[in-house]
Amino acid sequence: MIDWQYSESIESPDIVSIKKKYTNYIGGKFVEPKSKKYINTISPSTEELLSKVPLSNEKDINSAVKSAKEGLEVWSKLTPNQRSRYLFKIARLIQERSREFAVLESLDGGKPIKESRDFDLPQVAANFFYFAGWADKLDLSWATKSLKPYGVVGQIIPWNFPLLMLAWKIAPALATGNTVVLKPAETTPLTALLFAEICEQAGLPPGVVNIVTGDGSTGSLIVNHKDINKIAFTGSTQVGKLIQKSLAGRDVGLTLELGGKAANIVYEDAAIDQAVEGVVNGIFFNQGHVCCAGSRLLLQESIHDEFVKKLEKRMQSLRVGNPLDKNTDIGAINSKEQLDKITGLVNEGVEDGGELFQTECELPGNGFWFRPTLFTNVQPSYSIAREEIFGPVLTTLTFRTPEEAVEIANNTEYGLSAGVWTEKGSKILWTADRLEAGVVWANTFNKFDPSSPFGGYKESGFGREGGRHGLLSYLKASS
Amino acid sequence: MIDIKKTYKNYVDGKYVRSESGKTYTKELKNEFYELPLTSKKDIRDAVTSSKNGYKKWSSATPYLRMQILYRLSEMIEGNKESYVELLMDHGLTKQKATKDIDESIQNIVWFAGLADKWEQLAGNLNPVSEEYFNISHQNPIGVVFSLSSSNVSLNELLMSILPSLTVGCSVISYSEENSVLALKFAEDINNSDFPSGSLNILSGKFENILNDVSKHVEINLVALHKELDKEGLKTIEQNASESVKRVFSQPSIEGLSSILPYLETKTVWHPKGT
Repeated sequence: MIDWQYSESIESPDIVSIKKKYTNYIGGKFVEPKSKKYINTISPSTEELLSKVPLSNEKDINSAVKSAKEGLEVWSKLTPNQRSRYLFKIARLIQERSREFAVLESLDGGKPIKESRDFDLPQVAANFFYFAGWADKLDLSWATKSLKPYGVVGQIIPWNFPLLMLAWKIAPALATGNTVVLKPAETTPLTALLFAEICEQAGLPPGVVNIVTGDGSTGSLIVNHKDINKIAFTGSTQVGKLIQKSLAGRDVGLTLELGGKAANIVYEDAAIDQAVEGVVNGIFFNQGHVCCAGSRLLLQESIHDEFVKKLEKRMQSLRVGNPLDKNTDIGAINSKEQLDKITGLVNEGVEDGGELFQTECELPGNGFWFRPTLFTNVQPSYSIAREEIFGPVLTTLTFRTPEEAVEIANNTEYGLSAGVWTEKGSKILWTADRLEAGVVWANTFNKFDPSSPFGGYKESGFGREGGRHGLLSYLKASS
Repeated sequence: MIDIKKTYKNYVDGKYVRSESGKTYTKELKNEFYELPLTSKKDIRDAVTSSKNGYKKWSSATPYLRMQILYRLSEMIEGNKESYVELLMDHGLTKQKATKDIDESIQNIVWFAGLADKWEQLAGNLNPVSEEYFNISHQNPIGVVFSLSSSNVSLNELLMSILPSLTVGCSVISYSEENSVLALKFAEDINNSDFPSGSLNILSGKFENILNDVSKHVEINLVALHKELDKEGLKTIEQNASESVKRVFSQPSIEGLSSILPYLETKTVWHPKGT
């Protein structure tokens, strides 16, 4: 046997210069927080301090919303073609500074450079390009004339795809003529603040995009601000419900993109090797920090043993480690808090009686890490089969008939996504029709495109992002 | 000769039923007193059970069949036009206004009947993704809809609170307070139009009695309010709804295509292309 030596290939972090301290971006200016308070942002792969960002308070939010209102005056008076051009310009600038963003994303969030470079950043630019083209075609988008922008939109985004979630939020909001106050997640604020520089470079009118950082309390101030016309939130179902409750009785629009517990159904007539690849990508992409992750593997009983064997073998080849190493498949868990949550649920799964498989690999000494994990022998009632783990943990269940597969797949309060693997076309269509999920990946998984609507059924939220349908999230139907 | 007075009952699961509570509320119409069902919490639960089954039947019917059943409804109303006009006049409308209301109702039913097999083409599309994938977005009806009808005595307004969701395949629990005699008469035409049982349930009563039960019921997927509620009432409904991320629409648009959008869930399906 050849004794292969592993040699790492590290992306240089020099391309990005991280400031010691960042400010909010309000009214086209970088301003110190009125709160005078800051929070640390660390690299989850080393636990080293990267920078400090504002912990914005009520005065900061007031100022950001006021600026967005003023920005709306200007933005709404521009021609649709001018709005379109600004978005095109932003898209181009992102492409040009894409490597810088990718490195910063991996440093601040812990995701592999392979993903931030080849997935997140190209998608970010593509989203601005896509919605740029809608800005001057809104009259053609839906066969109804009663759609108008909301006005000032508050946007609160998560830490799993920091800049991509920003793009999903800001691009359609601006294309439809709204202005925004956006709060990035507490643990991943840096790429959003770098994006503020792009807005400046693009010469975007002051107040059209405002970026304020902080924690949950800051988000709550945005939600409860009297001058906000619409809230768009991506995050946990728990927080989504609180936001929906806070907005009760108020004339404020709301779209929610919440949690999931997607079933990835593998029928016995699937192309097994392809399905193994798809299942691995479905759960281990971005450390499993994906709301639409295929976290429940539903195997037809007849292929269970063979499939699990192949899956374990494939999992063993996943490389866990330094996000900046171009060979890394699985980076760092985003935060200590998230690592504790994953660990807790996995321990519960073992106590419940689930059979645990974890890959053998060396984990770095510092930082937050979790081995790729597979559970077999799981009952549908176990927490690991019901709760969103949001980590690299796959739970296996079995079924005998297609009817049973659909029943198990739909037996959850979530309804964000699902996967189907079979070589039989009619079975794909039959299954897809019956799955209560906003996105169904057939013989693939975790594919995204700005033209493809994304969003959930049931407690996975409401509203769509992306595509022609995504425009409706930022347009109000008035009678 | 003494007139024969009609007994109005709730219409649930294709049957005319009294409230299980035995309770009624009184409506005076042309010196006659009508005792209308005062829908209880248990009645709502029964209606939801029926609507869940009705949803399965109605949503799995072909668009072609749904179109014909809706068109059949317009035939029924056309045939009973005079009795509707008379009932509206009993409520105080002029003959002209009453006739106009029924004409508009029929026109709208025909419009929605024809939409039943077209809305998927208007609301769904292929998505031009930039890789070798077939990618299509199409819609499913959202499920069981509770619709509070307007307080105005108008068949057309009642219909506009039902037709958009019913047309796309939702099952509907229509609830009326002020215009319930009209709504319960309308149930007879629904009953004669081949709608599967449970696809449309029609109830009467005081909304405040069941406001909490409706907004908390996890098997009602959407609450549509076609009547202006006081601020506190709306707040309570929306707070209760948040516990299960239930959709609530207060006075949703009834214009054209935007009338059906709240009742649709968009599903996007991907498949690779290859040899």
